[in-house]
Amino acid sequence: MKRFQTLVLIAVVALLWGLNYLFEENLNPYVLRVIINCGIGMILAMSLNLVNGCAGQFSLGHAGFMGVGAYISATITSVLNLSPFFQTDLGVGCAIVMGGIVASIAGYLVGLPSLRLKGDYLAIVTLGFGEIIRICFLNIEAVGGARGLSGIPPKSNFFWVYLWVVVTFIALLRLLRSSYGRAILSVRENEIAAESMGIDISHYKVVAFVVSSFFAGIAGGLFAHFQSFIDPNSFVFNKSVEAVIMVVIGGMGSLSGAILGGVIVTLLPEVLRVFEQYRMVIFPLILIVLMLVRPMGLFGHKEIWELFRRKASS
Amino acid sequence: MNQAENIVLGGDFKVEALTISFGGLKAVNGFNLHLKPMELQGLIGPNGAGKTTVFNLITGVYLPDSGTSVLDGKSLIGLNPHQISKAGIARTFQNIRLFADLTVLENVMVSYHMRVGYGYFDIFLRTPRYYRIEQEFRDHAFQLLKVMGLEQRKDDKAKSLPYGDQRRLEIARALATEPKVLLLDEPAAGLNTQEKAALMGTIAEIRNRFKTTILLIEHDMKLVMGICEKITVLDHGEIIAVGTPREIQDNPKVIEAYLGVG
Repeated sequence: MKRFQTLVLIAVVALLWGLNYLFEENLNPYVLRVIINCGIGMILAMSLNLVNGCAGQFSLGHAGFMGVGAYISATITSVLNLSPFFQTDLGVGCAIVMGGIVASIAGYLVGLPSLRLKGDYLAIVTLGFGEIIRICFLNIEAVGGARGLSGIPPKSNFFWVYLWVVVTFIALLRLLRSSYGRAILSVRENEIAAESMGIDISHYKVVAFVVSSFFAGIAGGLFAHFQSFIDPNSFVFNKSVEAVIMVVIGGMGSLSGAILGGVIVTLLPEVLRVFEQYRMVIFPLILIVLMLVRPMGLFGHKEIWELFRRKASS
Repeated sequence: MNQAENIVLGGDFKVEALTISFGGLKAVNGFNLHLKPMELQGLIGPNGAGKTTVFNLITGVYLPDSGTSVLDGKSLIGLNPHQISKAGIARTFQNIRLFADLTVLENVMVSYHMRVGYGYFDIFLRTPRYYRIEQEFRDHAFQLLKVMGLEQRKDDKAKSLPYGDQRRLEIARALATEPKVLLLDEPAAGLNTQEKAALMGTIAEIRNRFKTTILLIEHDMKLVMGICEKITVLDHGEIIAVGTPREIQDNPKVIEAYLGVG
C-alpha cells in the first residue's frame, strides 16, 4: 500500500514534469497562462475551503494571507538580495514556503482574537484584517508601496504550480481524513455538541485558520513568481470574494469541489471574452443560475468520487 | 482500551448549592446532588423546572453564580465544556445535536479525539501509527454501535437515521468519551412504548457494562420509576423532594407540582 502510494506520487511528478515541457513547447502562451492561473485558483480555493467549508467559519479576508505569502516570498527573492541561490528554482521554492509560513503566523495572529466571533461578525472582522494587511503593504516603501514590486524571478511554471496543487490536495485530504479533521468538521456541524464531546473548539478553529493561511500564502508566492509583478491591488477585497465564490460553487467542505470551483471562477471570465463588454454581466448571471439550481454547490459536502460511489450503490 | 471491558470505577459526583439566575429569574437555586459510583438517579420535574439548566451547569455550558461541583475529588467549576468532558462527564441533548453531515461511525469517532495518540506529523506522512490508531478507533466505535444496535447503519449520514436511532446514536457518542458520569437528557422523548421499553433495558445494560454513574432526566414516569434508585424532583428551580421512587410517588409536594393543588 505504502509502496504503491510512493509509486503513484513519483508517476504524478514525472507526468507534471513531462506536461510542463509539452505545454511550454506546444501551447499558446495565453492558454498556458490561464491553465497556471487555474492552478493558483485551485490552491486558493482548497485552502479557504478548510475554513469556510470544513470548519464552518466564514472568512472574507483570504486575499490578505495570499498577499502576505506573495510579498514575503517576493521580498526574499527580489528585494533582499540575500544570495544568488534565491534566483534558482529551488531557492524560489524555499522563499515561497517561507511566505506560506509567515502567512500562517499572520493567520494565527488574526484568528486568535477573531475566531471567538461567529457568522457575520467573523466575516466583517476577517474582511477588516484582510484590508489592514493590504494597506500595510501599500505603505511600506521598501516593497514598492503603491507602485508595487517588479522584477520578481518568474519561476512559477506549470510544473511547480501543479506540484503545489497536488501537495495541497494530499495534505488537506489527509488532514480531513484524520481525527483532527473530524474535530474540525464537528465544529462546523454543532459547536455545543463538539465541546461536550471533548473537542476544544476554539483551538480547532485556529488550527483550520492557520493551515488555511499557510496554503493561501503558498498560492500568493506562486502568484508573485508567476506574474513577476505584484502590487497591493492584486490582493483587494474582490480577490477574497473570488475565493469565497470558488468554495461556494464547488460545494462547502468538498476538496474536489474547491478544485472545480477554482477552475470555473478562473476560466469563465476568460472563456466569456467572446462576449466582450457583456462578459462581466454574463459571468455573475451564470453564478446566480448555478446557485439557484444547486444551492449546496456542485458537489455539496461530498467529494467527486463519493458522488459516483453513491450513484453506483443506489 | 477495550471499550466493553474497560473498568474504570469512579464517578463519585457531588454538586452542592448550585445556583444561577438569568436576569431576575433564579433558574436553579441551591441545587444539591450526590451520585455514588454506578448509581442510577433520576431528575424529574414539570416543564421549565430547570432540569436541562442543571445539566448545562454541570457540563460547563453555563457558569453558575455559586455552588460547587466535584467529580472524584476534582472541582469542575469554571472549566470549559471540553475540559469537563475530558474529566469524565458526558451528556446527551434533549433536542438532538448530532453531527448531522458526518456518518454514524464518524459521529462516535469524534469522541475519541481527546485520546488521539498521533500528531500532525503522523497525519501528513500517514505513518503506521496513524493507520493503527485509526483502525483502533474504528473498531471501538463499531463495538459501541453494536451495543446500541446501530452497526448496520455505520456508513449512513447521521441526519438520515430515524428519530429513535438518532437518540441511540447520541448515547453511543457520549459513551465513546468513556465517561465516569453519564447525563441523559430525556432519552425517551418522542419514542413509542416499545422503543421506551427497549431503552430502559439499554440504559440498565450500559450502567453494568461500562460501569458508569448515570443521571437521567425524563418525563416518562414509568421509565424513571422503573430503573432509578433515587429520584430528585425539581420545580421552579428548587428541589422539592428527594427519595426512592416509592417515596416520590407518595410525596404530596410532587403530586401538587405535577397536578396542581386540588
